[in-house]
Amino acid sequence: MSRDRLKDLLQAAVELELSTIPPYLCALYTIRPVGNDEAKLVIRSVVVEEMLHMVLAANVLNAIGGEPQVTGDHAPRYPHELPDGVVLHLLPFSPEAVDAFLKVENPDQSYQPLAADHPLLGGRRHQHHLARCAQSAEGSGPTTIGAFYREIIALMEQAAGQMGEQQLFCGDPARQVGREYYYAAGGRSIIVTDLASARNALQEIVEQGEGDMGSIYDDDGDLAHYYRFKQIKHGRAYTGAAEGDPTGPPVAVDYDSIFAMIANPRSEDYTDPDLRAASDAVNRTWSELLLQIEASFNGTPEAMLPAVHSMFKLRDEAIVLLANPLSGHAGRTAGPTFEWDPSAQADLGMPL
Amino acid sequence: MIFPEGSTRRTDHKAASETVYDAVIVGAGISGAIIANELSRAGKRVLVLEAGPGEDMDIPGYDDYLSRFYEAASKDNQSPFASNDSAPMPRSTDVRRIRPGHPDASAYFVQNGPFATDTTYTRALGGTTLHWEGKTLRMLPEDFELQTRYGQGRDWPVSYDELEPHYRHAEREIGVSADVEDQAYLGISFKPGYVYPMRGLPLSYLDKVVAKGVDGTKVALGGEEYELKVRPFPQGRNGIPNPGYDGGKGYRPVGAVSTNQVEEGGRCQGNNNCVPLCPVQAKYNALKTLAKALQTGRVDILPQTVASKVNIDPGNGRVTEIEYKTYPEVNSKEYTTGTVRGRIFVLSANAIENARLMLASGLTSTSGLVGRNLMDHAYLLAWGLLPEVAGTFRGTICTGGICDLRGGTFRGEQAGFAIDIHNDGWGWAMGSPYTDLVNIVDDHNKFGADLRRELIARISHQLQLAFMVEVLPNASNRVAVDASFKDQLDNMRPVITYNIPDYSMRGVAYARQTSRRIFQRTGAEDYTMYDPTDYGYATYDGQGYVIRGGNHLGGTHLMGTTPRNSVVDSHQRAWDHENLYLVGGGSMPSIGTSNITLTLAALCFRSASHMITQLRHDTAPAEVAAG
Repeated sequence: MSRDRLKDLLQAAVELELSTIPPYLCALYTIRPVGNDEAKLVIRSVVVEEMLHMVLAANVLNAIGGEPQVTGDHAPRYPHELPDGVVLHLLPFSPEAVDAFLKVENPDQSYQPLAADHPLLGGRRHQHHLARCAQSAEGSGPTTIGAFYREIIALMEQAAGQMGEQQLFCGDPARQVGREYYYAAGGRSIIVTDLASARNALQEIVEQGEGDMGSIYDDDGDLAHYYRFKQIKHGRAYTGAAEGDPTGPPVAVDYDSIFAMIANPRSEDYTDPDLRAASDAVNRTWSELLLQIEASFNGTPEAMLPAVHSMFKLRDEAIVLLANPLSGHAGRTAGPTFEWDPSAQADLGMPL
Repeated sequence: MIFPEGSTRRTDHKAASETVYDAVIVGAGISGAIIANELSRAGKRVLVLEAGPGEDMDIPGYDDYLSRFYEAASKDNQSPFASNDSAPMPRSTDVRRIRPGHPDASAYFVQNGPFATDTTYTRALGGTTLHWEGKTLRMLPEDFELQTRYGQGRDWPVSYDELEPHYRHAEREIGVSADVEDQAYLGISFKPGYVYPMRGLPLSYLDKVVAKGVDGTKVALGGEEYELKVRPFPQGRNGIPNPGYDGGKGYRPVGAVSTNQVEEGGRCQGNNNCVPLCPVQAKYNALKTLAKALQTGRVDILPQTVASKVNIDPGNGRVTEIEYKTYPEVNSKEYTTGTVRGRIFVLSANAIENARLMLASGLTSTSGLVGRNLMDHAYLLAWGLLPEVAGTFRGTICTGGICDLRGGTFRGEQAGFAIDIHNDGWGWAMGSPYTDLVNIVDDHNKFGADLRRELIARISHQLQLAFMVEVLPNASNRVAVDASFKDQLDNMRPVITYNIPDYSMRGVAYARQTSRRIFQRTGAEDYTMYDPTDYGYATYDGQGYVIRGGNHLGGTHLMGTTPRNSVVDSHQRAWDHENLYLVGGGSMPSIGTSNITLTLAALCFRSASHMITQLRHDTAPAEVAAG
C-alpha cells in the first residue's frame, strides 16, 4: 500500500517538474535574438534546473521499483495547475510571465492568478489541466511544492521503517540516470539506491526550488534565481548585499523585442494549413523528446543523447511558428502548443 | 568554472612594480595558464602579463566574441576578436602573395617569403585556445627520435616515455574525450589500465561514409605496405565522463567560464563552429585553467601590458626585470612603460612572440638559434562531392580521420601526415556554406523553399580532406626583427622568412595522390583546384599546390642537449639565463603530425615542477630584490 502511494506521489513529482519546463521555454524562445541578455541567461538556467529535478524524481521513483511516465496522459496540458494552486500558462516573455516565474521561484510570493479577462489571455483560457499530484494527494493536498516533497520524504522514511530499507529500494540500479548521461545542467545527477541517497535527491529539488530565502546569494555566491527575476522585473541590478527591490545599475529589459505569441495556444487555433503543419511538427518533436526521456527513465539511460538533438530541433521548429503572425489576433504570432502527439515515434538510435 | 570577479582589475602597475614575484609570466594562453596554476597551487606568487585586452570573463563577454563572429563577413580564426593595433595579431585575411624581393609589410607580419604563411595566433586572455580546433593527438614515440631512426630532423632531449606521465596531466587539464583502444597505434603506448577522462566522441556520419570506402585500403610507400582506416580523433571537448578514470574516481567535466555559475559547456552539443569559437565552451580554452589559477588568490594579472624588453645582468646572465608598455585602451597609440621583477621569468607568448621579444631584447643565445627553425604544419586541402548524402555539416568540425601515414620508414625520404575528414564540408577550401548560399541566390536565382533544398542538397555531399603534413626544423625558416618595422607602441614586429622544405613537399605530393585514391574509393568527384594566383601556391616536381598554415607554431627556441645546439634545455630553461624559461611550441624540436597543443601542455607540466624545485633551491632572490 505505502509503496504504491509513494509511486503515485513520485510519478506526480516527475510530471510536476516536467510541466514547469514549457512555460520557461516559451518565454525563452519568444525573446528575439538581440537583447534581453540577462533574461535569457536566467530563464535558461532555471530550465536546466527543472530538467535536473525531473531526473532526480525519476531516479527516486525507479529506486523503489516504479516506472516513470511522461508521455500520453502524463504529458502536461496548458493552462496547467500545480498542487499549490499556481497555474502555469504558455506566455511570451512579458511582465506577466516574469511575475509568474517569481511565484514559481518563491512559494512565499503572494499569487494572483491571471483573470480570465486579462488582456494577455483575452478569453483564451482553457479548462485547467490539474496536475496529477493534486488529484492523488489525500485530502486537500499540500500547499506548497516544498511541503509536497517533504510529505514524500516522510512517507518514504515511514515505508522504509515498515518494510525495511532494502525491501523498499528494490529497483534495478541499471535504470538510474547517472552522471554519464546527465550532467552540467542545473547540477549533478544523483544515483538513488537507498534512503540516504533518495533523501539527498529530493532535498536537492526542494533546496534548488525554494532556495535559502534568507540571502539573495546562493552557496556559490551567485544571485539566486528569484532575485535575478526581480532584477528583470525592476530593470535594475542588485549591488552588494542589498535586500528588497534592486536599485543598482540598469538591467536592459525590452518586452517589445519579442515574438508576441498568443497565450496558451492550441492546435485548433491554427486554421491555415501551413501553420497547422508547422505546429504539428513542433508537437511531433516535443512528443519524440518525451518518448526519449521516458525511454531514458526505463532502462535505456543513453536515450538522453538523442534527446539533446530533439531539444535543438524543438527550438528551431518553435521559432518557425513564432515568426508567423496569426490572423485574427492583431499583433500576435503563433507559438508552440506543447501537445502530445500519439502518433510520434522516438528515434532511440544510439550515436555510440 | 568561476572566474573570480575583479581579478583582472585588482592589480595596478605601480603595486606590481613594487613586488618581487616568485614568477613573472608573459602571456595568458594555455602555457602561461598551466604554469600560473601549477606555481600558485604550490604557494608561489605569480604575475601574468597579457598583451591583449583582458576583462573578467563572463558569459556576456564571451557572447560578445560570439556575436562578432556571427556578424562578421569573414569567418576566419580571428573573426571573434576585435582588431587591436596596440597589440596586433596576424590574420589570414591579411596575407598576400609575395613577389620575390618585395617583402609584404602591409599587415602585422613582415613577410619576406618566399612562401606567404597565413598562420595565426590570438593575443587575448586564453590565447589561441579560444579558436583552436581541440584535436589532442599525442606525438608518436618515433617523433622524439627522428634523427636516430630516419636521419631526418632532430632528436628530442626527452623521450616519449619520459613525457607520457605529463601527457596524462595535459589530458586531465584539457579534459580529453577519447578511447585508448582507438589511440594505441604506431607505437603510442599508455600507462597500463589508463582511460581518458571522457569517453571518445563518436565518428560522424560523414566519417562512416568515408570509412565504408576507405577502410582496408592498402597503400605502398617506401617499400612497405600501409592499411588505411578511419579512426576517431581525441578531442579537447567535453563528452561522456569515463567512470573508470583516475582509478574509478571518474572525471568532472569543466563547463563554461564566467564570474557567476553557469550551466553550459558541460557537454559538446555538436555545433559546427569549434573554430573559431565554441558557442558554449564545451571545447577547452585556457580561460578554464586561468580561472582556476586566479582562484588561488596568488596570481596577479596585468592585461593590455605588452612585454617589450627582457633585461639581464651581463655578469651572470640572469634576467633582472622585464620592461613593458601598457596602453589605456584598445587601439591606443599612447602607452606608459614600466618594469616588473620576479625570481624566475617565463615567456609563454607563443613561438613567434617569444622569439620576437628575445630578439627585440638583443638576446640571440649562445647557439644563435633564437627565432630560427620556425615550423608550422603545411596543410594541403582536397575536396570533392560524394555520390550520396553524407550528412556534411553535422557534428563538430572534425571527428575522424586517417592516421596510418603519420609514421613509418618512408620518413627517411618524405614527410608523414595525418588526414582530417572535415565535417564542415568545403568550408576551409571554398568558404562553404556561405559561398554556396551566395552562388545559389546570385547565380541560380533560387529563393524560398527552392533555395533551402538546393543549399542542403549541395552541401550535404561535400567531402573535404585536410592533410596535415610535417615540416622539419630548418634554420633558414625564421622570425627576426628589424627596427624599421614597428607597431604603434614602438615594438618591433615579427619579420618572417619561410619556405616549405622539399622533404615536406614530397609529403604534400604524396598527400594529393592519396586524396585521389580516397576519392576513387568513396566514389567522390574530385573538385580540387589549386589557383596559381593564391598566396599559398607552391610548386614541386612540376605540380602546383595551395598550402595553408596550421597555426601550430614551433621551433623558435628549440630544446636540446647543449647550449650550442639549442636555446633551452629539456625543462625549457634557457641555457644562457638560469632564471628564464621559454615555453610552448617554440621549444619543440619537431612537430610531427600532431596538433601541438597537447604536447606543449605536457611540456609545461613537466617544466612547472622543475620551476617549483628551482624556486625552492634558488638562493638568488635576495640579490634580485635588492636590485
